[in-house]
Amino acid sequence: MTLLLKQLFALIRLLNSDTGTNQIAAGVACGLILGFAPMLSLQALLVFVCMFLFRIQIGAALTSAFFFAMLAWLFDPVSHQIGSAILEAEALRPTFTTLYNMPLVPLTRFYNSVVMGAGVVSILLAPLVFFGSKRLIVAYRVKVVERFKSSPFWKLWSGTSFFKWYATYEKLHG
Amino acid sequence: MKNSTDKPVKKQGPIRFEAIVPLAIVVGLIVAYFSLFFDSHLRRGLEYAATQGNGAEVDIATVKTSVFKASVLIAGVQMTDPAQPMQNRVEIGQIRFRMLWDALLRGKVMIDEAVIEDVQVATARQRAGYVLPPEPEQAEGPSATDKMLEQMKQEFSGNVVGDLAAIAAGADPSGQLKVAGSDLKSGAFLDELKKSQDEMEQQWRERIAALPRSEDFNALRTRLSKVQTKDFKDVMQVQASVKELQAIRDEFDALSKPVGEAGGKLGGDMGTLRTSFTDLEKVMREDVQGLQARLKLPSLDAATLSRALFGMDVLGKLQQGKGYMEQARQYMPAKGAKKVAPKQIHKGHDYAFGRPKAYPAFWLRRAAVTSTLPGGKGLSGEILDVATDQALTGKPMQALLKGNFPQQGINGVKAELLVDHRKEVPLERLSFEVGSYALAGRTLVDSDSVKLAFSKADVASGVSGELRGDKVDLRMSSRFGAAAFETSAKTTVVREMMAASLSGLDAVTMDARVSGTWSDLDWKLSSNLGDAMVKGMGRYLQAKMDEAKKRIQAMVDAQIGEQRQRLQARQKEIESQLKDALAKPQAQVDKLRAELDAARKDLDKRKNAVVDSQKKKLKQDAGKLLDKWR
Repeated sequence: MTLLLKQLFALIRLLNSDTGTNQIAAGVACGLILGFAPMLSLQALLVFVCMFLFRIQIGAALTSAFFFAMLAWLFDPVSHQIGSAILEAEALRPTFTTLYNMPLVPLTRFYNSVVMGAGVVSILLAPLVFFGSKRLIVAYRVKVVERFKSSPFWKLWSGTSFFKWYATYEKLHG
Repeated sequence: MKNSTDKPVKKQGPIRFEAIVPLAIVVGLIVAYFSLFFDSHLRRGLEYAATQGNGAEVDIATVKTSVFKASVLIAGVQMTDPAQPMQNRVEIGQIRFRMLWDALLRGKVMIDEAVIEDVQVATARQRAGYVLPPEPEQAEGPSATDKMLEQMKQEFSGNVVGDLAAIAAGADPSGQLKVAGSDLKSGAFLDELKKSQDEMEQQWRERIAALPRSEDFNALRTRLSKVQTKDFKDVMQVQASVKELQAIRDEFDALSKPVGEAGGKLGGDMGTLRTSFTDLEKVMREDVQGLQARLKLPSLDAATLSRALFGMDVLGKLQQGKGYMEQARQYMPAKGAKKVAPKQIHKGHDYAFGRPKAYPAFWLRRAAVTSTLPGGKGLSGEILDVATDQALTGKPMQALLKGNFPQQGINGVKAELLVDHRKEVPLERLSFEVGSYALAGRTLVDSDSVKLAFSKADVASGVSGELRGDKVDLRMSSRFGAAAFETSAKTTVVREMMAASLSGLDAVTMDARVSGTWSDLDWKLSSNLGDAMVKGMGRYLQAKMDEAKKRIQAMVDAQIGEQRQRLQARQKEIESQLKDALAKPQAQVDKLRAELDAARKDLDKRKNAVVDSQKKKLKQDAGKLLDKWR
């Protein structure tokens, strides 16, 4: 829980700073794949490993995974249709047969209509989500954070002795 | 944006080296989970899944797993009997098996050899097991099979013997006849019949009124009389007459057509009405039977009594078999079986892309059932090739079990099962025999008037059945030897009647066969107990039953008979009137047709004569001309 909270605070801090745009966007894209994949599956494990190994914002990934999991649940009937269409495609049958009988690959549960449909959709959407979130983060920083910082409330707040004390503390220990 | 007082940000590479420690912690937590909690969670998961399959609580005492050996040990399995929650249907001492890692890495479960030890049936439970509520009806309503089985259940659970005993005790079933007979189906049928009769009469009267009138035929006759049929001077005159005659004939045909059609249709319509009266007889018979049922006046015949005594047993076995069949067909689908829509859309549908010699999703190649009961008794045998894809393994599932359950007094158990889903039409074949078991206190009849039960009996029974696609063929036979009965009745006459029925009967046999398709089953059930009861009860009941039946018949006749006669008389009257009304134009048609035929014949004769004379004359003229030229 501490790790998760720390990641969430880091996400907020990163969002409000100038850096880490790629980390957050990658986290959101990973969250999309995580949210659309079954919890206990090889692809979910791989995404987790990537999140730990590479500098991907875990807080962003977990938050967006929660959001995308709910979205995926709502779209399960559509995923089932898409997955069924793909799995029933005659041209892909030899490929699926090979994959189905290979070690490890079946642990992705790709042979399930919902998993296949949601998986394909999430992989197709991942680049779009990555670039989309990058643009959104930049827009957020410009339109929300900057405006907020130039607001009288922020100016009043940043002039308080408590804020100054906290800023000094953050500089020394943050 | 950037503050000059901010700490300088340390440049970081894309790889998170500092995550090694958290990753190690996560791995450690996973290992700890599998070491400490996984077995317990798996046990609960297995209990839940098995409870759903069994329809009643399944308890598992211990589950031990080894990840490296891929082995599982399940001990102390108790499966509650849904019909008797204080009893286990099956109790298994221990199940041990190892899975192949090669298959596990492919997401499949492959067990080469499993051991099932210490299997017992009908053992007592320490507390009542939880029984799952019945599944809610499907949105599209019960299937034809469910409807039929429910109908059979209602028939078999009806207390026929109790009703008979009540009659013997003095109840007069026809006492409530007036109330019960107030809404006869035949009454409604008669009303409908009268309505149809009135409508048909009305239609026919209108149709006959629209038929050609006498004037129309007379006009044609006048025209016919004017047609020249003799003294022709030349062929032209003949041709004019032929033309006029044909025109009259065409008009006649147009006029006579509806008359002819009406004649044929009238016969058909009247025939339909007559058939309705035959149907009325059928409805009246149904009313009589319905009243007999409503007044609890059962048939006193061996087949009905046998069904009432043992029908529920056979139905129970059939429903049990159907349940197992459906599960087998769901989890081991036949080759090319129709893909069913997933029950929960969020679970989706699993596709299989097997190839020869590949693993199916689940395959238990052999399970040895052994016994550890004292004296080597208990159940022993083997279960072969339980697989989710038999077309892939090429082997049907087979099970052969035999043994004794001395603690329950059950001996000579032999069960053979074949589940062959390798082809498109699934086949399940079962043979189950029990050499002997001691029966105590089994109720056959439980009503206010009479109770009948086996107080003890030595039972030998056998069930064999084959389910192929939608077809069913189930045979059951039981022999209750050294049977002792327990009867109780409120009145002396019923006691005497029951004693007379059961006198000298020390063995009861029951033979049943259910065949056909699931939506249309043919039931044959016979028992010597049914025969004995017919003989024993007949003496006391036959006269009363006959009297009651006569009263019911008389009541129906009284309510319907008079109206039926009135309607039948009206039917005859209408038929006669309509036929008379149709006879007049028909006679005119016939007469005019004869006249037209005669005129045509005469005209043809004269035409031929004129043509012949013309030909002769032409020939003579030609001869004369030739003579002149010569």
